[in-house]
Amino acid sequence: MRDYEVVYIFKSSLTTEEIEGRLEAYHGKILAAEGSEITAVDHWGKRQLAYPIDRNDNGYYVVTQFTASPGVLPDFERALKLDEDLLRHLVVLSEGEMPMPIMDERGRDDDDNGNRRRGRDDRDDAAGKGDDAAGEVDDDTDEGGDAADDTDDAADDDDADKGDDAEEGSEAEEGDEAEEGDDVDAKRED
Amino acid sequence: MAFRKVCKFCERNVERLDYKDADTLGRLITDRGKILPRRATGTCARHQRQLGTAIKRARYLALIPYIQGYHS
Repeated sequence: MRDYEVVYIFKSSLTTEEIEGRLEAYHGKILAAEGSEITAVDHWGKRQLAYPIDRNDNGYYVVTQFTASPGVLPDFERALKLDEDLLRHLVVLSEGEMPMPIMDERGRDDDDNGNRRRGRDDRDDAAGKGDDAAGEVDDDTDEGGDAADDTDDAADDDDADKGDDAEEGSEAEEGDEAEEGDDVDAKRED
Repeated sequence: MAFRKVCKFCERNVERLDYKDADTLGRLITDRGKILPRRATGTCARHQRQLGTAIKRARYLALIPYIQGYHS
């Protein structure tokens, strides 16, 4: 049994009932195996896409968390791929507890903006490279098939991170973060 | 400009970067949609690796653009 998370992007022209019906069908595939469980279904609702997908500018996002054995995934993903009203889907291994919100302190944000503005100066020539990068957009169609691989990668990451923690201490800078984090903060306030 | 010494994710004890958090990820890409380097953001190696994965997933889900400001 593993925890997974799946994000669906439906065509925004579907009605709520149609979306609910599809979700039920997909989740049926998961629940078909014994011991599977849907832990959370979160409807983000209609949202503007960062770039058009098959000429759609909007999509209806749904995020679902579930527990299942890896064996049900092929059947589940086949159902997703066959649905033409599903613009995108992504299945990943869920990383345990819900990630906490990150940017909440106003003061820190200003800091960041300062950083970024400074970085932009040397980025002017990067603008010219837009043409090369255009090819990358077409790649997403392929990536649909890679969703399953993605889950595997996430599992590998877990192991890799543990090993790296030990090594990072050797770098002077990162040693500071780990061991003297409090001290650094104190100096800043001075 | 003051040299950023501490990774902002370490400061907040972020265990896992969330690929669904478009607001945060949107701040860590250039105005062309490229991933900002560590030297510009001060992110530590561990979180920069997570960031790469998170940004690529978010791009696939059309939460952030692959290329910004380019119209064919």
